[in-house]
Amino acid sequence: MNASLRLIGIFAIVFIAAPLLIVVPMSLSTSASLQFPPPGLWLGYYASYFTDMSWLRPTWNSLVIAFFTTLLTMALVVPATFALVRHRFYGKSVANLMMLMPLAVPHIVMAVGYYSYFGDLRLVFSKTGVVLAHTCLSVPITFLVLSANLKGFDRNLERAARSLGATPRQVFVHITLPILRPSLTISALFAFIQSFDETVVALFISGRDAETLPRKMFDSIRQEADPVIAVISTLLFLIVALALLAPHAMRLTRRMLATASRRTTPRDQT
Amino acid sequence: MTSYLTLSGVNKQYGAFTALDHVDLDVEKGEFVTFLGPSGSGKTTTLMIIAGFEDATDGAVEVAGQSLAGLAPQDRNIGIVFQNYALFPHKTAAENVYFPLQMRSVKRAEGLARAEEMLTLVGLEGFGHRYPKELSGGQQQRVALARALVFEPDLLLLDEPLGALDKNLREQMQIEIKRIQRKLGVTTIFVTHDQSEAMSMSDRIVVFDKGNIQQAGRPLDIYHRPQTRFVADFIGETNLFDATVTDAAARRAQSPVLGEVSYAAEGLPALADGQEVALVLRPEQMKLSRDPVPGRMNAAMTVETIVNFGDSALVIGRHGGTPIRVRLHGADVVILKEGDAATVSWTEDAVYVVTR
Repeated sequence: MNASLRLIGIFAIVFIAAPLLIVVPMSLSTSASLQFPPPGLWLGYYASYFTDMSWLRPTWNSLVIAFFTTLLTMALVVPATFALVRHRFYGKSVANLMMLMPLAVPHIVMAVGYYSYFGDLRLVFSKTGVVLAHTCLSVPITFLVLSANLKGFDRNLERAARSLGATPRQVFVHITLPILRPSLTISALFAFIQSFDETVVALFISGRDAETLPRKMFDSIRQEADPVIAVISTLLFLIVALALLAPHAMRLTRRMLATASRRTTPRDQT
Repeated sequence: MTSYLTLSGVNKQYGAFTALDHVDLDVEKGEFVTFLGPSGSGKTTTLMIIAGFEDATDGAVEVAGQSLAGLAPQDRNIGIVFQNYALFPHKTAAENVYFPLQMRSVKRAEGLARAEEMLTLVGLEGFGHRYPKELSGGQQQRVALARALVFEPDLLLLDEPLGALDKNLREQMQIEIKRIQRKLGVTTIFVTHDQSEAMSMSDRIVVFDKGNIQQAGRPLDIYHRPQTRFVADFIGETNLFDATVTDAAARRAQSPVLGEVSYAAEGLPALADGQEVALVLRPEQMKLSRDPVPGRMNAAMTVETIVNFGDSALVIGRHGGTPIRVRLHGADVVILKEGDAATVSWTEDAVYVVTR
C-alpha cells in the first residue's frame, strides 16, 4: 500500500473514532456538565446513572419498546420477505415499494403523521404507540437484509430435503430456518438497534410514561447537559464492541477446540 | 422383462410452449438409463416430473405398477443427486446422510451408524464429522450420493452430477457411480448433455430433443445405428451427406458427394424411391488411400487439414464444397500431407440412412 493511501486511512479512522475519544473521558469527568477536557477523573456519574430512576426508567422503556418492536417487525417481515422473494403475484412491485417507503420519508414527517393520527386512536404517549411507529421504521432495513439473503438461498437444498422425505414443514424447521438463522439474527438486531436509537418519532409521541432513552438524553442535553449522557454513550459503545467481538471470539475458541480434537483422530488425513 | 418405471404420454406445457411432447418410456428394474440431450431438450423436465417437483400437464408415471399421481416428493421414495450437490451446509457429512433416515424416524445412534456405513461404501470412511465446505468437490459428490442412497430408494435420479468436476475427477466418479449402482442394483436415471459420459456409463441411452425422445437404445446402437439426423449429429463425430434414394428395394441412393452408394438395411425406416435422405458415415469407419481400393466404395477428396492427437489423427478434406472428416490411427497418417489428392473409402455396412 502506498504511503498517501495509508495516511488517508489513518485520518479516516481518527475522524470516525474522534467522538469516542472525547465521550469516554467526559464520562469519567468531575465537572457538573459536559465539558472537554475533563477537569478531573471520577466514576461518580456511573454510580448516578445506575441509581437514578429518571435515567433507569427511560432505559427500561427503551429496552421494552425495542424488544417488542423487534418481535413485531420480524413477525411481519419474515413472511412478507418469503412472499416477495419467492412468489409472483399481482401487485408485487407495489408491495415491494411499500415495504421500503419508510426509508424514503423523512422521520420528522412520519413523526408529525403519527402524532396527529395516533392522537385519534389514543395511542400517543403510550409504549404501544411507539412500538407501532418504530416497527414501521424498522421494516425497510430488516426487509432489505433478509431479502438479500433469501435471494441467495439455494432452493435445491429444499428440493433435496423434500426428496429425502421431509414435509414442507420439516424442510422449514430442519433446513431453511437453520441456514437462514444468521441473517435472521442480524436483521432482528437491525430492528432492535433502529428502535433503540430512534429519537425524532420518540420525541413526538413517547410522552412521559413511555419516555425512551434517546428522548431523555435529548431533553437532558438541552436543559442541564448532564455528564450521565457521556456515561450512557460509553456503555452503549462497550455493548456494541462486545457484540461485534463475540462471534470472532467464538470462532477462535471453536477453531482451537477443532484442532485439539483433530489431533486425536490420526486416521483422517486426506 | 417387465417395466419398472413407466412413463406414458407424459406431456408438459408452459403456456404455449411444449416442454415435453407425449413422452413414452419403459425402464427395467436395476437398469442404468441416461437421458442425453442439449439444454432445453426436456430431459431435466422429465426428471423433475418423476421426482414430483413438476406436475405433468398430461400423462402418467408409474413405479413398480404404482401410479405416482398425487404423491408429494417426500412420499415417492426417490433419491436425487443435484448438479450442485445441495448438501446441507449446517450439517456434517454424516448428519447429511442421516437426514433421510431421521425423516423416517430412525433413532439417531442407529441412523448415524448406517450413515457411516454408507459413507464407507462411497469411499469416505472417517469423513463423517466434516462439514460440506471442508470437503473437495469429488468428496461432496460422494456424500450427496450416499445421502440419496442410504434410505434404499426405489429410484435414483442424477441431475448432471458430474458437471462441476474437472476432467480427471469426472472420469473417476463415472467409474465410482457405476460401481456403486451395480453393487446396490438401484434403478438409475442419469441426466447429462455429455455424450461420452452417456456412452461409458449407461445400459441404455435415451436421446432427447425439443421435448421428444429421438431414440432410445443401447449405447453402441445409438452410436452406430442412429435413427434420426439429430441423433447422428449429436452423438460422436459424424459425416452427414445429403442423398436421394434411387432404388429402395436394392438399398441404393445417389449422393452429389459420394456418388452412387449402397447402404446397410438394419433398423432403417421404410424408404421410398426418390425420398430425400441423409447418409451417416462415422469418421473412424472410413479409410484414406492414394488410389481407389477395389472391393470398397470410393470417393475422391482433397486433404485440407490434418489434426494430430497422438493416438489418432483427424483428416479434414473436401469434395467440392462439402467437408469430409476421416479419423485415422496415428501410424496411418504419415503417407499424407495437406493439399494431397486422396481417395476416401468405406464398406456398405458402415453407411446408415436417416431421414432429412
